[in-house]
Amino acid sequence: MKQLICCVLATILLFSCKKEGCIDPIALNYNPDVHINNGSCEYITTTPYDIITPYGFPDMIIPEDNPMTFEGVELGRKLFNDPILSANNTLACINCHMPESSFSDPNQLSTGIDGFLGNRNSSALINLGWSSSFNWDGSSTTLEEQAFEPITNSLEMHNSWNNVENTLNQDEEYLLLFKQAYNIDYIDSTHVVMAIAQFERTLISNNSKFDKYSRGEEVFTKSELNGFAIFNSEKGDCFHCHGTSLFTDNLFHNNGLDVEPFLDLGLGKITENTSDNGKFKTPTLRNIEVSAPYMHDGRFATLEKVIEHYDSGGHFSSTVDPLMKKLGVGLNLTNQEKSDLIAFLKTLTDYDYITAE
Amino acid sequence: MKKILFITSLIAITFSACEKPTQTDLTINFTQTVDGNRLITGSGCSDGGECFHDHSCCNLGKTLGYTNDAGENYNIQTLKYLISDITLHSDDGNTLLLDEVHFIDISDASTFSFTVKDVPNNNYTSISYTMGLDTIRNINNLYVNEIFHSAMVWPETNGGGYHYMKLEGAYNNDSTFYNTHTGGTMGGDYSFNNMEDISLTVDDDLGDVSINVNMEINNWYNSPNQIEFSSYGMGIMMNMMMQMNIQMNGITDVFSIDVSK
Repeated sequence: MKQLICCVLATILLFSCKKEGCIDPIALNYNPDVHINNGSCEYITTTPYDIITPYGFPDMIIPEDNPMTFEGVELGRKLFNDPILSANNTLACINCHMPESSFSDPNQLSTGIDGFLGNRNSSALINLGWSSSFNWDGSSTTLEEQAFEPITNSLEMHNSWNNVENTLNQDEEYLLLFKQAYNIDYIDSTHVVMAIAQFERTLISNNSKFDKYSRGEEVFTKSELNGFAIFNSEKGDCFHCHGTSLFTDNLFHNNGLDVEPFLDLGLGKITENTSDNGKFKTPTLRNIEVSAPYMHDGRFATLEKVIEHYDSGGHFSSTVDPLMKKLGVGLNLTNQEKSDLIAFLKTLTDYDYITAE
Repeated sequence: MKKILFITSLIAITFSACEKPTQTDLTINFTQTVDGNRLITGSGCSDGGECFHDHSCCNLGKTLGYTNDAGENYNIQTLKYLISDITLHSDDGNTLLLDEVHFIDISDASTFSFTVKDVPNNNYTSISYTMGLDTIRNINNLYVNEIFHSAMVWPETNGGGYHYMKLEGAYNNDSTFYNTHTGGTMGGDYSFNNMEDISLTVDDDLGDVSINVNMEINNWYNSPNQIEFSSYGMGIMMNMMMQMNIQMNGITDVFSIDVSK
């Protein structure tokens, strides 16, 4: 009897010794049945995607747990363009963030899958890697966090994350792409938003006429130069909120659009701080020509109407920014000054950006 | 039992013997007063408290509770400023740079102070600091990765670099605003360096020390030059005479130093 047991054990031992393969669980060809590593493990190799910081831009904010890779960016691009994220497979991110409109929506409000209109004008997606607050009211602090929201918003894609995960995990192509980008076998919501965020960080615009002028490659017309001077003067006073190479201070202001009570509390709704009521995030002015309509609610259809608002001085409310220093009085720009200012704003259009894939 | 006690106490003794000698950590606090009273702003409390549900201090700040020598009633809604080259001087002739540039924003309590760990033993006899940025530091995009870059940038066409200070609010009535913006107008340097005597001997036993740098805001407007908001016109960023007058007031009596051990 003893001999028999010995024999069986020896056989088992012998068999298990023979099972060679890849024993590393994170490898592509990991085999849970083998116990001896034979050096055959194959691993996911991702290619780092380097962000080149344009002149005058700060270093980009990239989360440590979501480093940029070509695989991640391409996956994010595919997700951004794919209606699969919406409940009825009809609406993709790109439908309300169209490249030719600087990744915004030319409609005042965007239409969701159920035919309902959203509450605010679709934000232009441009140079977002240099911001730490997203949406008009700053409700998200990272691009990853932001991407969670439109997919389940009942006025937008009206999906559930459960359904998104189920759908994606039945898709062989996505399973492969997520494996290649993140080395995961089950696609979860966290990695969906991580990939979308990676793609959004590549949406960099720095090749407008203004940039070429700054680099000494092109010259401004007299009108553009004059507009630039008004932009940077205390009279026009655009630069206090739309300064730096990013053309936004990435802060929140009440620019005197409305009197109280506010229909939309903006930042105040998020912070529950009454002194933040009526404040919205400063949008970048890059590509402003093509990202009409304007303001958080898209109330102004043209740049002329925007200039008219500031020229008139704006309305008083308890949270209006002291930078609106000609409140109720107005800037009193001449018609020539207004058209010069618009000529300058149009130098911020980056045709490479809005025609890129 | 005795053995355990013995070993335990031996370990305890060994550990305490290895402990670093007491170090001196120096905290620099930035405070603001108006007529000697702690600043109360319209958009938050200067102690960093938030204005939830119309907290009383915030309501107080909304009124035009302050008066300058020109007789204008005003409030303060925004105050952001840069203090640079904050340096201790010791009697042996050495200097200790505490911070190159410090940004203070009264809406962000995390900017109200900074701490320098383990200040070297010495007999420090004075502290110097610059209001704003001098010409060496006031360069376009020099601080592009600092949090104040976008908030304080000064257009290149107007001289470039950064605002030294943004002090904003309403005067005369709720809806008339002033913007006291100081900076290198047309490339001119209107920053100023203050040096004040202190008595601070740092040795191993001193423990934590703090130095308070207070800005008396009303003094920006009062002497020797009486400044009226109503004379600001379109704004003062391009007004060299106004920048000079404010600078002179600043040098005179805006800042004071207090050391507490």
